[in-house]
Amino acid sequence: MQPLEFSHYSDPLDLLRRFIQTPLKATYRLHGARVGVETNDCALLPELPLDADLTGPCTLEWKLIRDADSPGLLEPPMFLTSATLTVVAMGTACLLGLDHEARKLFAFIGTDIDPATFQKYLVPFLCRMTKDVLSGDPVGCFVSWSNDSAHV
Amino acid sequence: MDIIVDSRLDTAVKRPAYFRGNGHLVFGFLPPGSFITYDLLRKYVRAVLSTAAARDDSFWRALLIPITIGILGTTVGVVPLHCACLERNGIGLLIAGDSGVGKSTLTAALTQRGLTLISDDWTYFSKQQSTLVAHGLFSPIKLLPDAIQFFQELRELTPAISLNGELAYEVDPARFPGSTVNNTSRPSWIFFLERTSTPGCHFVSCPSASVHEFFEKNAERLPDELIDARALRANIIRTLSTLPCWILRTGESPQRTSEAIDHFIWETKYATA
Repeated sequence: MQPLEFSHYSDPLDLLRRFIQTPLKATYRLHGARVGVETNDCALLPELPLDADLTGPCTLEWKLIRDADSPGLLEPPMFLTSATLTVVAMGTACLLGLDHEARKLFAFIGTDIDPATFQKYLVPFLCRMTKDVLSGDPVGCFVSWSNDSAHV
Repeated sequence: MDIIVDSRLDTAVKRPAYFRGNGHLVFGFLPPGSFITYDLLRKYVRAVLSTAAARDDSFWRALLIPITIGILGTTVGVVPLHCACLERNGIGLLIAGDSGVGKSTLTAALTQRGLTLISDDWTYFSKQQSTLVAHGLFSPIKLLPDAIQFFQELRELTPAISLNGELAYEVDPARFPGSTVNNTSRPSWIFFLERTSTPGCHFVSCPSASVHEFFEKNAERLPDELIDARALRANIIRTLSTLPCWILRTGESPQRTSEAIDHFIWETKYATA
């Protein structure tokens, strides 16, 4: 399938791009849980086992947004974690946020991240975050910001 | 608000300010080398700053604080709206209008004329015992390059790319001799600026419904999760729309238009006194 052409999103009243439509939806079975995925790019639908059961609520939701204005390739991840949130920045090419309580994960993924890179690197990363949230250990083995950082 | 300074970010890739959000979560990069997250439901901010950013007064004054109030404000009782605010003899004036109509050049001309500047691009509104209060952040006035024809002061400055990607002069109001700046005012009147090709300045009374519609239509879209923030903003806009308001149609320079406003204030105040 040919990847979709992504135009630059422009809405002066939505500078944070909260309202980019994600009409493509699928449900997966992951670590024994139902994970709903919404995206605006079929290339961002993960190659994971689909959930045959089409009823019932999802345990966790992923919203994966292809963003034509997020340039660059993946950089080493930087983590900001708290009891309720995990945020990961891999440069502007990929920004991830996970609300542990709401069990919602969203990611802005730049157009320079090709489908192979997404499937090979980002999907396992998202699965790991999901597993850690489901196991009640959301910061898991992720490297938190070091303790020697100074508070101001 | 939890802020961490980490020297490892001093060698981070240089990139312009960049923000994204979804629902109640917002995050982004702020130059130099810093990263910040906002949780608008839990009213929690967490940031990691490079030492260069942490030590730079202008980073706090021109970036971190205004952006934080802009993003978080509506959830903590402060509503940012796109208009300028000035004050003359205790009368707070709001200057609103469509993008590119010349609000900032008029604001600079009014400041040059001796009106106290509260804010240029964004004004932050709150209520204190049901009274509307407008706040500014001592931010510079942002003028587009063509404003140089009206302000000699700009000849000594170089325009730079601003946060929204526009090439603009960022002018410290102190550059205008005799200017004064304050951070709060009680808004009394609203002027909607409109440009015409016809010479002269004309003040036309503006109905309350139009004020309400303008501010609602031009406010940032907020997600469903932020229902309290939406209600607060609607309340502030309702109060704003009860203020006396005029459409100011001008075909004149910013200086001539500011002169017309000053006369209008004096005449209207005198007439109603």
